[in-house]
Amino acid sequence: MADIQLSVEDLRKTFHPGLFESPIEVLKGLSFDVRRAEIFGFLGPNGAGKTTTIKAITELIYPDSGSISVCGLPHTSLEAKRKIGFMTESPYVYSHLTGREFLRFCAELLGVVRSQQEDRISRVLDDVGMAASGDRKMGAYSKGMLQRVAFGQALLGDPKLLILDEPMSGLDPIGRRDVRDMILRQAAAGVTVFFSSHIIPDVEALCDRVAIVVDGRVRAVGTVRDLVSREADRYEVTFAGVSPEELSTRLLAHHVGSGEAWVRVSSEDRDALIRELADRGARLVSMNPMRATLEDLLMTHSEGVDR
Amino acid sequence: MRAIRAIAVNTFREAIRDRILYLFIGFAIVMVISTKLFGMLTVGDEAKIVKDIGLAAMQFFSMLIAVMMSMLLISREVDNRTVFNILAKPVRRWQFVLGKYLGLVAIVAANLLLITLVLVVMVLIYTGQFDPMLVFAAAMTMLEMSVLAAFATLFAVLTRPILGSLMTLAMFVVGHMSADLWMLTRQLPGTFTRAVIATVYYLVPNLERFNFRTEVVHDLPIPPAAVGWAVVYASACVGVLLFLAALRFQTKDLK
Ligand SMILES: Nc1ncnc2c1ncn2[C@@H]1O[C@H](COP(=O)(O)OP(=O)(O)O)[C@@H](O)[C@H]1O
Ligand SMILES: [Mg+2]
Repeated sequence: MADIQLSVEDLRKTFHPGLFESPIEVLKGLSFDVRRAEIFGFLGPNGAGKTTTIKAITELIYPDSGSISVCGLPHTSLEAKRKIGFMTESPYVYSHLTGREFLRFCAELLGVVRSQQEDRISRVLDDVGMAASGDRKMGAYSKGMLQRVAFGQALLGDPKLLILDEPMSGLDPIGRRDVRDMILRQAAAGVTVFFSSHIIPDVEALCDRVAIVVDGRVRAVGTVRDLVSREADRYEVTFAGVSPEELSTRLLAHHVGSGEAWVRVSSEDRDALIRELADRGARLVSMNPMRATLEDLLMTHSEGVDR
Repeated sequence: MRAIRAIAVNTFREAIRDRILYLFIGFAIVMVISTKLFGMLTVGDEAKIVKDIGLAAMQFFSMLIAVMMSMLLISREVDNRTVFNILAKPVRRWQFVLGKYLGLVAIVAANLLLITLVLVVMVLIYTGQFDPMLVFAAAMTMLEMSVLAAFATLFAVLTRPILGSLMTLAMFVVGHMSADLWMLTRQLPGTFTRAVIATVYYLVPNLERFNFRTEVVHDLPIPPAAVGWAVVYASACVGVLLFLAALRFQTKDLK
């Protein structure tokens, strides 16, 4: 399909750490597709296999089986690699280079036309908010600055597909917001963004679609809205004047505090509860729908998995 | 081929911005200059002694720099994962290996050039004559170092950093004992030990092929064929070693 920018199919990888250690099966048949111009989140707990998947896509490791294609091309082809901009999990940089020298080095590796190099580097430094510090040695950069330069080198080759491994982890709130803005800007310019994260709010705030990955497999894929049911399936109700024990409506949970009672009911029993409270002359204080969150979903999928 | 060049240049730049390199170069130069002391302390032709010890020091320090720098420049790039940035880009793994090797060779060459200059000037002051054969000897040392750098590159992708350096060092030592090994295979009794030593003899390049020190120091004639063979031999060794390094690195999972 023409509008699939990244396709990963039945990826498997087992690491063999050493002669006397047991092999570790990290990817157990992992599949997903990323469509053109969407922001796709790869959400999963630590150790789920996100970085391993990304390293397979960027040819830093070789999977045991499965196939990967980038814009319809085999991921190991130079053509495919030219379309990818990649940012590693933490910034790995040369402390002997300045930010600008590092980007120059990357531009050479990418084969950026020499006459355009300096313009492009300045533009990228501007894009990531590093125009003022581009000529300082990277050894003296803060984590946030390193992350920006690392983001910059990913943009340098005008990629069609951005692959970002935990782009917001380890940053302060301002840094996270800036990275989020940078991602949104790229997406608005038509770049497909694939990023991994273990932080739910980041995924909820940014993604068009999400894959939930647990223990080396994708457990669910879809828009955040599709994944968490839009209909509330439970309600929390507080009232006064009646003890929950006296009620005949089926309750999922109940509790009595400072004169008010709190109960939880399923959505089918909601109307019955309201009627019963009215019949018994209770005073309704509040009623709130409870929606399943991405977090609930992640928890559900993580149950029974050894961590 | 811009990628290879860029990797080599970055490697070279990393080395010249590292203080360690200057420490070694400083040592080497002090060593070469202090050969004058040896010359005064020993009986015999002082100029010859200066040349002899100077060339030996040149070889030794070039070897040290090749071994140390390979560890700092190749292993460190893999261990620090800066290599991720390179290999996720449209760059082949063999291009990385070759770029690293060329960067390493450039560093050794730059250092060798410096030591040669010091030695030539010293001999000039000492004898009043420019001895072009010193430059020839340095060129032959460079051939030897290009083989050693290829070993260092292979071991850097094959093993852990310290181990790789030790193995390169071992190749240097064994490579200069080739003739002795050959003698050993004649004299040792057991067929097994003999087979082991013969295997080592055939596997480790004979680095004595690049040693023209005696000829240079004593103004002996140098057979052109020996020089020609040394060049061919070095090229073949470098080719095979880099091929093996690239082959191993090609399928390596990076951590
Ligand atoms: N090179 C390796 N050798 C052995 N085990 C590894 C290697 N790389 C990753 N792992 C293991 O694979 C699992 C998944 O790791 P990773 O893909 O980094 O997870 P995530 O990025 O989702 O946190 C972890 O348990 C990790 O220990
Ligand atoms: Mg990870």
